[in-house]
Amino acid sequence: MAIDLTAVEQLATDQASLKAAAGLAKAGKWSGVGASQDGALIWGECAGSGANPYRVMADLRDLGNKCTCPSRKFPCKHVLALFWLHVEALLPFPAAETPEWVTEWLGRRRSTGSVPKLAAPASDKDLHAARIAEPEPVHDAKAASRREAASARRAEDTERTILEALEALEQWVRDQLRLGLAGFVDDVTARCRRIGARLVDGKAAALAGQVDELPARLLALPTGDRVRGATVELARLVLLARAFRAAPRDPELRRAVASAESRETLLADPAAPRVAAAWEVLSEQVRTRRDGLVSQTTWLLNLTEGPRFAMLLDFFPASAGRRASVFTPGEQFVGELLFYPARSPLRAVLLQREAAVVDGPPLDWPPASAPLEAALTAPLLAEPWAAERPILLPPGRIGFDRAGAPWWQPSQGTALLPLAGEAEGLLAGTELTRAAALWSGSRLELLATQTPWGRIGHG
Amino acid sequence: MADAILDALGPVLTRWTMGGSAVPNAPAAWSDALGSDASEAELRLLALSGQLLGTMAIPEPTGEVRPLGDIPVLARPPLPDALRPRARRLLQQLREPSARRTLLDFLDARGWTLHPGDWMPRPGEDVPEVYAAWQDWAAASGSPSFASETLSAESWDSFGPAARHAAFTALRRQDPAQANALLVEKIAGEAPDHRVRLLEALAIGLSDADGPLLESLAGDRAPRVKALAAALMARLGHGQSGDENAAELAAFFLVQSKGLLRRTRAIVPQAMKTPAQRSRRSALLEALSFDAFAQALGLSSAELVGAWPWGNDALADSLFAAMAARSAGDAIVAAVAEALTTDAAIDPHALAQILPRLTPSQRRQAALRPLHAKASFAVVLTIAGGDGGIDDAIRTPAGTALLAALKAEDARQGDPASELLALGLLASRAAARQALEHLAEMGLIASDPRLDMLRLNAALEDRRPTE
Repeated sequence: MAIDLTAVEQLATDQASLKAAAGLAKAGKWSGVGASQDGALIWGECAGSGANPYRVMADLRDLGNKCTCPSRKFPCKHVLALFWLHVEALLPFPAAETPEWVTEWLGRRRSTGSVPKLAAPASDKDLHAARIAEPEPVHDAKAASRREAASARRAEDTERTILEALEALEQWVRDQLRLGLAGFVDDVTARCRRIGARLVDGKAAALAGQVDELPARLLALPTGDRVRGATVELARLVLLARAFRAAPRDPELRRAVASAESRETLLADPAAPRVAAAWEVLSEQVRTRRDGLVSQTTWLLNLTEGPRFAMLLDFFPASAGRRASVFTPGEQFVGELLFYPARSPLRAVLLQREAAVVDGPPLDWPPASAPLEAALTAPLLAEPWAAERPILLPPGRIGFDRAGAPWWQPSQGTALLPLAGEAEGLLAGTELTRAAALWSGSRLELLATQTPWGRIGHG
Repeated sequence: MADAILDALGPVLTRWTMGGSAVPNAPAAWSDALGSDASEAELRLLALSGQLLGTMAIPEPTGEVRPLGDIPVLARPPLPDALRPRARRLLQQLREPSARRTLLDFLDARGWTLHPGDWMPRPGEDVPEVYAAWQDWAAASGSPSFASETLSAESWDSFGPAARHAAFTALRRQDPAQANALLVEKIAGEAPDHRVRLLEALAIGLSDADGPLLESLAGDRAPRVKALAAALMARLGHGQSGDENAAELAAFFLVQSKGLLRRTRAIVPQAMKTPAQRSRRSALLEALSFDAFAQALGLSSAELVGAWPWGNDALADSLFAAMAARSAGDAIVAAVAEALTTDAAIDPHALAQILPRLTPSQRRQAALRPLHAKASFAVVLTIAGGDGGIDDAIRTPAGTALLAALKAEDARQGDPASELLALGLLASRAAARQALEHLAEMGLIASDPRLDMLRLNAALEDRRPTE
């Protein structure tokens, strides 16, 4: 299955792709590189700008390929770089059992029966010219200080704009109380859209996103619970606005109101904790948001030392189509995460993932955070603007009340937690020795559970 | 303290629901925190109430919360974890119930079950008996069943319907007389659906000893029970004979002699003049017993199988096979199966009528004949089901054709995926390994998802004792 550089060049849609690929064809950008036993398939994970690495796979027999990045170029720079690594033997591709995600892709290719055609050869493409790195911009001390001053001014402007938007938000909340929450619940979508637009104008994009999702969260509650729900949701907005006003430079609050730091900023931030540990992929949630973005949230459980949970969050445009999963729920891996600095760090990006997954039998889940009552309330009290927090529950099982609604019930103790969604099949018919879930203060959303029958995933 | 404040929040929420300021109703404990500025106090009250309601006030269930019982552990173990992803992928492909059934039968034949996290049967779904305990668990919404090991008149009611049926079938296999005695006592108390299913189990080891029970059911309230009892009587050779209907049906056919010595008999159907005639003939084939038909033609039942003009009229063949399956003895059914599978062109509809009456080994025998002729694996699968015991499966005409189709895959000679799946369900473990070796030589890569069934087969140990 030997391919050569010419084939890779011909595959590229333009010179820019090749150039970008050249930058990625470095050992440091890649992890989990491997090839099938028969040498027909190659794959690897390439760090991109998102929290999740991109999964790149290719079939050397017909150069068919796939990448999980949102690029509309086909093939994208990651695929080209993978080919490149292989052709030039820049990295060893150890023979390994084909991962599930590669097999899945192979199955979809077969079913549609499409054999990717080679791109028409374009002229004037010189791979080696493309590999010559761009010259580094020359440093100029004066220009640098000018840039710094300008960026400080911009930051101040932004802060002022945000504070004005928060003023408008508080006034809007007062109006809702004055006009009555019954009317608010009835007209929640339109009212939230108006203030959401104002917040976007006011550069409070993250907060606008929260307000956008508020109607969906509220309408998911039983009718009788919606006024209480509206009180909680509006209070959360006020708490966040007040927290931001008290400390506008706090990175955690800035993230919750405006936007998250870029990966580059985060990498350069000495306050961002790096945690190398063994992780289990609990679940992956893909949601289409009202603003047309799709959010992809991967929940990880730390099986060793350090923060108990990690959340990898990425956004991409819905128009980019369905994206393949980046992780397989249930898989365990050793890797290093970089957490966004926070009082209790949760959101993170994946820095490095070791080629070999955890050796030997799967690691056991750690014991539940005790005591239950404190574990449920402490995170929400410490971070009152958070809509939900992950939690590890002690042994329990699912029961049903007279109305048929499912509840999680601990084996010891009396706390009953209402479950979001349905519970059927194995989940309802066995002991849950451990459960990882999201707790919103009023609903429990299971992510994954351990049972005598083994692990069960949800969602 | 928190409870007292929660109680005090009632009037606050009422006020906000309607609209207006709730500060005058605020809990006294918070008055200092709220301050004196009216519009600021409103927001502070909202922040405090919201946080209290959002973190400290967990909703209460309606009435008592009851857990369901544990899902029963089945008599055969679930698939090992390493093989479950592959089984899940196969389940995705086999969504249609009869196709899924072949996979379930395959696993059953090897002595394994699916993992309840991957699949659970619905109550009433047609699945191998090993899953009966799960069906009853689901039907009873998880109330634990305290079924004892053996079925008896005393333990009858402690079984769920599916488990009871499975236990009854097992008892009938072990001890037909005791099963008969149990049914005499219990059948009257069962609903018509269950009466039919229990009566169907009586077909196993049917003998003259079952005559009195069947006669007593000839007057059953439910027409289906009545018809089934009559058909079982007919299998014992006690069908109604010499009646007008049989004569009418016989009149649609001519019996001729042929061969050198004019000793072989052949049936020639009369030409049908009108659609009405045709449908009358069909109705009679559906209603009469096999023996009665043979008698009216002046033939023995065995002679009738040999004399039937197979392959002339697909509908008549199918009705004839159904007639045998319904009312003929085991030997006649086996003869019909043989007649239907020796022919080069197999009529799957006619064959499908007879298959439920065959034992697993008879089914395999019936499948091997066409397999060594030139039937495809998919056709053989419809005969043998998820047998998983056929050796040297790749060294057959179907295997050769499959390898050729894979070689010429670009030429698009149909999709080999279904043939690969069927092969995986039919082959023995050794045959699956052998097939995988051949396919690897052809250039198929091991991770090709079309090989999932073969790879599951090759990896799955046979837990059943060899017969």
